Amino acid sequence: MFDLFTDYTLRTVALGAGILGIVSGVLGSFTVLRQQSLLGDAISHAALPGIVLAFLLTGSNESLPLILGAGLAGWIGTLLVRAIVRNTRIKNDGALGLVLSVFFGVGLMLLTYSQSRPDASQAGLDKFLFGQAAALLRNDVITMAILGGVAIVVVGLFWKEFKLLSFDPEFGRVLGFRMGAIDVLLTTLVVIAIVIGLQTVGVVLMSAMVVAPGAAARQWTDRLGVMVCLSALFGALAGVTGALLSSTGARLPTGPMIVLSASVIVVVSLLVAPNRGLLWDRTRSRSSALPAEEVAS
Amino acid sequence: MGRLTLRAVLAVCLLAALAACGPVHAGGAPDPEEIAAREINVVTTIAQIGDVVRNVAGDRVDLVELMGPGIDPHLYRASEGDVVSLADADIVFYNGLHLEAKMADVFEKMQGSVTTVAVTDEIDRNELLNPPEFEGAYDPHVWFDVSKWMSVTEVIRDSFVEIDPEHAQLYEDNARAYLAELEELDRYVAEQAQRTPEEQRVLITAHDAFNYFGNAYDFEVRGLQGISTASETGTADLSGLADFIVEREIPAIFVETSVPQRFVEALREAVAAQGSEVSIGGSLYSDAMGDAGTPEGTYIGMVRHNIDTIVAGLSGRSEGGES
Amino acid sequence: MAQAPATESLATGTDKGSAVSPSRPRDIAIEVMDLTAAYRDKPVLWDVDMSVPAGVLMAIVGPNGAGKTTLIKAILGLVDISAGRVLVGGKPYEQQRRRVAYVPQRGSVDWDFPTTVLDVVMMGRYGELGWIKRPGAREKQAAMEALDKVAMTDYAQRQISQLSGGQQQRVFLARSLVQDADVFLMDEPFQGVDATTERAIVTLLQELRDSGATVVCVHHDLQTVTEYFDWVTLLNVRRIASGPTRDVFTEENLRATYGGRMAWLKSASQTERSQD
Repeated sequence: MFDLFTDYTLRTVALGAGILGIVSGVLGSFTVLRQQSLLGDAISHAALPGIVLAFLLTGSNESLPLILGAGLAGWIGTLLVRAIVRNTRIKNDGALGLVLSVFFGVGLMLLTYSQSRPDASQAGLDKFLFGQAAALLRNDVITMAILGGVAIVVVGLFWKEFKLLSFDPEFGRVLGFRMGAIDVLLTTLVVIAIVIGLQTVGVVLMSAMVVAPGAAARQWTDRLGVMVCLSALFGALAGVTGALLSSTGARLPTGPMIVLSASVIVVVSLLVAPNRGLLWDRTRSRSSALPAEEVAS
Repeated sequence: MGRLTLRAVLAVCLLAALAACGPVHAGGAPDPEEIAAREINVVTTIAQIGDVVRNVAGDRVDLVELMGPGIDPHLYRASEGDVVSLADADIVFYNGLHLEAKMADVFEKMQGSVTTVAVTDEIDRNELLNPPEFEGAYDPHVWFDVSKWMSVTEVIRDSFVEIDPEHAQLYEDNARAYLAELEELDRYVAEQAQRTPEEQRVLITAHDAFNYFGNAYDFEVRGLQGISTASETGTADLSGLADFIVEREIPAIFVETSVPQRFVEALREAVAAQGSEVSIGGSLYSDAMGDAGTPEGTYIGMVRHNIDTIVAGLSGRSEGGES
Repeated sequence: MAQAPATESLATGTDKGSAVSPSRPRDIAIEVMDLTAAYRDKPVLWDVDMSVPAGVLMAIVGPNGAGKTTLIKAILGLVDISAGRVLVGGKPYEQQRRRVAYVPQRGSVDWDFPTTVLDVVMMGRYGELGWIKRPGAREKQAAMEALDKVAMTDYAQRQISQLSGGQQQRVFLARSLVQDADVFLMDEPFQGVDATTERAIVTLLQELRDSGATVVCVHHDLQTVTEYFDWVTLLNVRRIASGPTRDVFTEENLRATYGGRMAWLKSASQTERSQD
């Protein structure tokens, strides 16, 4: 454990993974409550063609252009999902699945094409599929911190708007709020969270980070504020634990370790959380949560 | 849609599916007389092999190289176009030993219809490196030991002689000349290697591609990513390597053209955090060669570039450690 | 909390609708003109005219699929309309948002959401607060007062997932009370609530009406129309009839609306006749 402080690589990776955990935990809470868990998956898969195109257009495999490409592609994907739901008979999960697979397919196609280019520095795009957490640089962590910080500040500012959006968007519209704009804002923040995570856990695994901490946190509390904080904590815990585990042995890849840690947190929460945990129900007699008045049908 | 339209669509789909199956090759070796009269269709995977083919067969071949500069053969997936080229070839040369890991299926399907040759087949299995992480499989990066690549040249020569006996003399002459050049290269590399003081003869790169090099020319070799770039590095691997660098006071680490730079960057940062300094000694060609038309685009040129870069990087060492 | 115009006196809650003389000139709270709405080529509302005078307690009734909820939502601008206009207090709805309170169907939200009763009621004040500003002590105060009106102050900190159907309905009502509205649009406020809650809600609505507010409810129970509401609109894609209950709630109109379910109509019109 002390290595956490003395080992530079471990420190850098743990810090980056922790930031990722916090940001995806906060934003993941909202996607989980809005029953949009598939959104994280869709955005991260949709980011792939953006990454490859950014490389093909700029010729560089520096972090910044690739991240911008990823973000742009993911964002366009979400707009497309909205457009599909609004204008066709296809429902939300159908639209998400559609955009996910089409974008990802195009991304793989572009990736194969880029392999045939006589450009010596193209390698590394593959790494975005599963992440390359161990190679996080100081600049990467700084970028993540800044982007993540901005996202969290925005969540704090628009707290009641996001609550309204998640609970009763129609009522929000009646009150005069532009719920469409708020939806786009929240989704954009989710895109940012995912883009932060792509270098760490990769496209394929990122969806877990957006869903797991929020789902786990829901088990422990019925208050939104507590849930979001707990979700951030769980995310950070998963990130740091994953980094630590990866450092204990040779050839233990960091990205999957992080996701495994997050999964363990979810399973534990599902089983032992008070009131909602499955084991809790079995071992305690259920006291009625409803008041003495008659229950309406 | 109406019944008729539906059937038409299905018919089109069926035809398209049949067409996609592609031409079925007659199979078996082509007729020697027929081949002598025209260019031989050859497909190679990595450019190192292609270079040998060009040197042995010269103008007699129409050569298609699947993997160009900067391509990572561990991760390369054959496209539709590649499969067509393979099917049309008279002979296919590939490295073998699972280097072209994602093409294994394709080669299997080609068996029986196209002549495929794993150029490393004649190398004595006892001389192949068998690293523990790869349990049973061999390290495929044999081209860094020039003497092994001489064996590869012989295999290629023999293949051409077999398929085109009319021009056997041409192939043998060419091969002899090329083998002489390779022998000269082998000597050069060994000499240059000796110029680096023994304690500093440590080669650190992004992935474990240089084991044969280290074996043949007396270098200690360490890589970050393991034998294949398809695996992911863990933090322990990276910080362990950083510790090693600091401990042994290694002056330079090396980037590979087919592996992303950021790993090596991360390594350098880790070493810097321990107060030490290591420079990036230069870029080495590992799985791929340089651009065509440049000296590094040939096997010999590439090997020379590598050894020169390594020696220069490791020798530029003073007490304080300079970049 | 509704504002009280000076003229009306507070009537105590009675079972009969309040008998304001029909000859008295009134402001029009809601004016709907030529409203047409369609869902994928199928008309949901067709050329609907409706004039709701200020200070009435009106029911909108009709069979399933008649467009009742759509009408409410169209007035609120929640659904796209193909034709027609909506005026509230003589002006377009967008300019009058502050005056209009909405009580949606209970099933329109997920009651498993992690929040408290008080929190939901305070949402009614978000419009006043505008962007970014957080609710504070004043909003909390207003919310508690509203909860008092629906007899739910003890439940302020309760999780909404623990509420019964009747309690959920009351929370939604309280949420509408915290706005300074004088027009209330409610979608099936009596759906699935117990008898006690129903009585309490009726009393509340009548108090609102008596203090000068206009209350419009989509209502599903024909049996209670005459008892609770002084105005009624009969809707089945088209407006069949609209006006004071005693004038409009006739067997003939009901038949035109519901298309001949005799047992229903018989009992409904019998109730109406016995009131005269």
